[in-house]
Amino acid sequence: MSGQKTLLVDIARCSGCYNCQLACKDEHVDNDWRPYSAPQPNVGQFWMKIQEYARGTVPKVKLHYIPLTCAHCEDPGCMAACPAQAIYKREDELVLIDPDKCTGCGACAVACPAGVIYKNEKLGIFQKCTGCAHLADHGEKPRCVDACHSGALKLVDADEARKYAEEGESFVPAEWKPHALYLHIPKLFLAGAVLNQDGSDVVEGVTCRVNGRETVTDGFGDFWFEGLAADTYTLEIRSGSRTLYSRTVELTQSLNLGDIRIDA
Amino acid sequence: MTEEKRPKLTPKKVEGDRFCIKGTELNGGSCGNPCQIDVKDGKILRSRPLQFNKIYDPASFHPWHMEARGQRFDPPMRTLPSPFAYSYKKRVYSPNRVQYPLKRVDWDPNGERNTDKRGLSLYERISWDEATDIIASELKRIGKQYGPEAVFLQADMHGEGKSVHNAHGAPAKLLSMLGGYTIQMRNMDSWEGWAWGAKHVWGMEPLGQCDLSNVMPDITKNTEMILFWGCDPEVTPLGMTGMMPSQLCYWFKELGIECVFISPDLNYAGGVHADKWIPILPGTDAAMQLAIAYVWLQEGTYDKEYVKTHTFGFDEFRAYVLGQEDGEPKTPEWASGKCGVTPAVIRALARQWAKKRTSIAHGNGGGTIRGPYSTENARLEVCLLGMQGLGKPGVHQFKMIEWVGSMAVPKKGAKLAWWVDDVRPPAGTPMDSPQRFITPLSAEAPMDPDSKVGKLTARHPRAPQQMIAKNLLHDALLNPPVEWYGISSFMGPRSDQFNKYQYPAQGCSEIHMIWTDSPCWTTCWNDSNQFIKGIRQPKIEFILAQHPWMENDCLFADIILPVSTKYEEEDLGYDSTCGAYQTYFYENQCIDPIGESVSDYEVVCEVAKKLGLYEVYSGNTPVPERIELSYECNGVTDMPFEEFKEKQYVVLPTDPDWDKRPTALSEFYADPEKHPLDTPSGKLEFFSQGLHKHFPNDEERPPVPHWIENGVTHSERISSERAEKYPLLMMSNHGRWRMHAQNDDNAWCREAPTCKVKGRDGYFYEPCWLNPEEAKKRGIRHGDIVKVFNERGVVLAGAYVTERLRTGTAYMDHGARYDPIIPGEVDRGGAINTITPHNRTSKNVTGMAVSSFLVEVQKVNDEEMDAWKRINPHAFDKPYDEGAGLCLASWLADPSWLWKEEEK
Repeated sequence: MSGQKTLLVDIARCSGCYNCQLACKDEHVDNDWRPYSAPQPNVGQFWMKIQEYARGTVPKVKLHYIPLTCAHCEDPGCMAACPAQAIYKREDELVLIDPDKCTGCGACAVACPAGVIYKNEKLGIFQKCTGCAHLADHGEKPRCVDACHSGALKLVDADEARKYAEEGESFVPAEWKPHALYLHIPKLFLAGAVLNQDGSDVVEGVTCRVNGRETVTDGFGDFWFEGLAADTYTLEIRSGSRTLYSRTVELTQSLNLGDIRIDA
Repeated sequence: MTEEKRPKLTPKKVEGDRFCIKGTELNGGSCGNPCQIDVKDGKILRSRPLQFNKIYDPASFHPWHMEARGQRFDPPMRTLPSPFAYSYKKRVYSPNRVQYPLKRVDWDPNGERNTDKRGLSLYERISWDEATDIIASELKRIGKQYGPEAVFLQADMHGEGKSVHNAHGAPAKLLSMLGGYTIQMRNMDSWEGWAWGAKHVWGMEPLGQCDLSNVMPDITKNTEMILFWGCDPEVTPLGMTGMMPSQLCYWFKELGIECVFISPDLNYAGGVHADKWIPILPGTDAAMQLAIAYVWLQEGTYDKEYVKTHTFGFDEFRAYVLGQEDGEPKTPEWASGKCGVTPAVIRALARQWAKKRTSIAHGNGGGTIRGPYSTENARLEVCLLGMQGLGKPGVHQFKMIEWVGSMAVPKKGAKLAWWVDDVRPPAGTPMDSPQRFITPLSAEAPMDPDSKVGKLTARHPRAPQQMIAKNLLHDALLNPPVEWYGISSFMGPRSDQFNKYQYPAQGCSEIHMIWTDSPCWTTCWNDSNQFIKGIRQPKIEFILAQHPWMENDCLFADIILPVSTKYEEEDLGYDSTCGAYQTYFYENQCIDPIGESVSDYEVVCEVAKKLGLYEVYSGNTPVPERIELSYECNGVTDMPFEEFKEKQYVVLPTDPDWDKRPTALSEFYADPEKHPLDTPSGKLEFFSQGLHKHFPNDEERPPVPHWIENGVTHSERISSERAEKYPLLMMSNHGRWRMHAQNDDNAWCREAPTCKVKGRDGYFYEPCWLNPEEAKKRGIRHGDIVKVFNERGVVLAGAYVTERLRTGTAYMDHGARYDPIIPGEVDRGGAINTITPHNRTSKNVTGMAVSSFLVEVQKVNDEEMDAWKRINPHAFDKPYDEGAGLCLASWLADPSWLWKEEEK
């Protein structure tokens, strides 16, 4: 196989169905895929793990899910950390823990900050995603990718992956050159609703500015500024050249400013 | 323990590595979303979607697509299984499986029956021989002593998707041969409001929900805003349909359709697809709907021409909305105090709706359609759609389950022969006329004339002469006589709602024995603590359950017979629901049966043998022959059966003219005189003439839909005196991780944080969602063990503190497995239905109210827990599986009896 594949994870396309997590268990629990992996225990391990995040407060709340798995790095820190040389890279560069060589010391799990390596108490070894190496041998996709109905998980070749090198994020150090890239992980938002002075009506179409970005309130009087980093922001609500409202906030998490009444 | 004796009908053993096809839907009525199941070394290896083009050229089944606004939607070339499908094998191999016949240790049919110990007693293993001897002798004794109607059959609801081995109904014919029985008639349990309310506005038999013909192409082309009103397309379709609704939600967004979610919770779809979430208090939608109508009337922003030509009784409706009837104009300010949505947002919603072509999406209606007085919001929704020109391009009501016809369909669908009760037509087919009220499961039910099935199986010789409305079972047990209107036939017509029925029926005995093949009343029906009290009475002498899993009502049975899952059976399947292509398939047996289990049909065969009725009951037609004959009757393919078995599936060709069928109500919209609705006036009845005629003085469902604050039937509003003690409105949805009662023991699903909350005692509690503000007020932190309670009982839960729920509300999915600490009073398993309202939907409406009711939530302290431990130590120290939780061993007097692999 030429060139390593990259798992592209588009958070904007993930509806949190858990099919990837469950298909992974379907494939690996009770099934022995030696030499690549020993069976996964019934519960407690997640070689593909869905994590749910809720941002904001009622009624301005958004959910997103992060399907977390091994990035099969080009220079994997786990491999470097393994004193037993139990971790190796296949020809297709999938990173594998040899279940028969692993001594269970756990150095790999300590080395990898993504938290994707699990201890199997019964077998006394550490285990993780194999990229479904046993299926790859037959040219088949890993089960998580196969089970993803919405296009959130895709396996792409090196050329395609390069397009996302800038934008893609990962959960391991960049110098390990991870081959799982996450797109569209939401940042913080600043949101609220604009109402008239007595609160009886929402105000549609009024201009809201935050540190140089601008939007207008929608039919519910709502404004949303997505994609913000933690920082200090000044919200200005304007009508023509008049500033009707101004507030400066320190943004550390997504923030719903609630109902803002203005003299429209 | 007597010597083990296997039933004679043990299914064949399976050999060799191969793949089988299994429909994974949990609806029971069909076998949707077939998967390819790989089998190796006699075990299920994995489940993957079935590829339509695996062996067929797509051209052979006419690929279809939709186009809208310059974009194109192609259905996937394979099925779209749900999380339940990918983890199905956990259910097959669940430690919760009933492995062999069980008898309650302190139930002696020849001596003390200890009926008050039901729910507390443990079980012992007995042989099939002993079990069927007891059952046959009890059936004869009870029939002789009280008459045949003393035997009550519960044989409805959802289950595994099977055909020849259909999960429900198998005992009906046998009981009929014994002279009759009393039948449990299922109420419209997930669409109460539509059936009992909306039908009186627009007809729409049999469900009361809108005709769905080709709505999807029209919506994607013309709709500007979709209101997901109590609808969660990422949840409700999971057990019914699969992932296609999720794909369509992504397409709606790409098309620029605004998605507004109206629900107390930011549900799973809302969290990822909503442009706007309007958190409303549970069950208060009618107040907001009236205020929307008020805004439109005040501002003149409704379709006045349409109202003139397409509706009946609009003047009476307007008078009520404007306050001319009761002196109370239904302003947004009036509504806000009831529904918890600000007047500004109500006005904004009304104005957006008036401005944009708007459709309303449903799963089936969510919590709001199965709460107190749910007829009223259902009717009001139709009225509001009517005020904006229902039926015009882009203005519809639609749903994304049971949605056959809303997109492409084959020219000819398949038929599934339902051998077991051979009278119940496939799901979705309207039932028989109400006059022959018990006919749905009777000898007279129509058979397909082409079908060879009827010729080979004896018909039911006698229709049941007595029925009990399912939602009134607790009253029937505790306080007979009971009277009610309608549901003499499941999905019966509107006219049946005016017929009155009674239990006990004239000349019939009260019930003294229960035979259930759907033992989930406790966790799915209403005020089941009272049901539990009812079935612990001495007059219920014998309870027989047959089920694959040891759960819920099984815990009250005296004998439990082990049923195999579909993976252990050979059968046929038909998927009409996945949304892409319809398939008809052969379901080969994947694995040997677990323990001594056999299919539901075969269970009844075993009992029939002991009664000397096997030959007649089975028609002497063995299962493989039944399968072949069913295949010959399927109506879609001429392929020889042997070839079909080898190929395992066929894809039904799409009708090339599918998109030429008219859209839903477009013809009514264009010409209401020529295409009238099925209502007395043929129009949308804002004033329902049927209700006026039959129930002129019903204040809880008057001719014009009303907001019902409190009434003789319910007192579940925040204005109620009860709210001082129980201030939170409980919202209860169809489960994210269950299909009703199904799948609660699935170890892999239980690991999701939204499925179970691990308490400090190591028990996996059902989550109870609370807004952080409500939690803080009560000193509750995420993960705490809490009690959810009202006068009807106590349910323990794990606190799930989240911004996904508004204040004033608590939220628990229904269907968690019952785990009694004190049967009928305190439950540890999270079966919230034990404390749902006792009464029907409203005075003359035979529905149930299982969402939107008052509770309080408090942290459980150690003293309280210790007190419960003293009352029932076993409840706390029984075997408990780290993955599945409650399991068979939890209820066995001697867990060493567990079936082991070597017994094969």
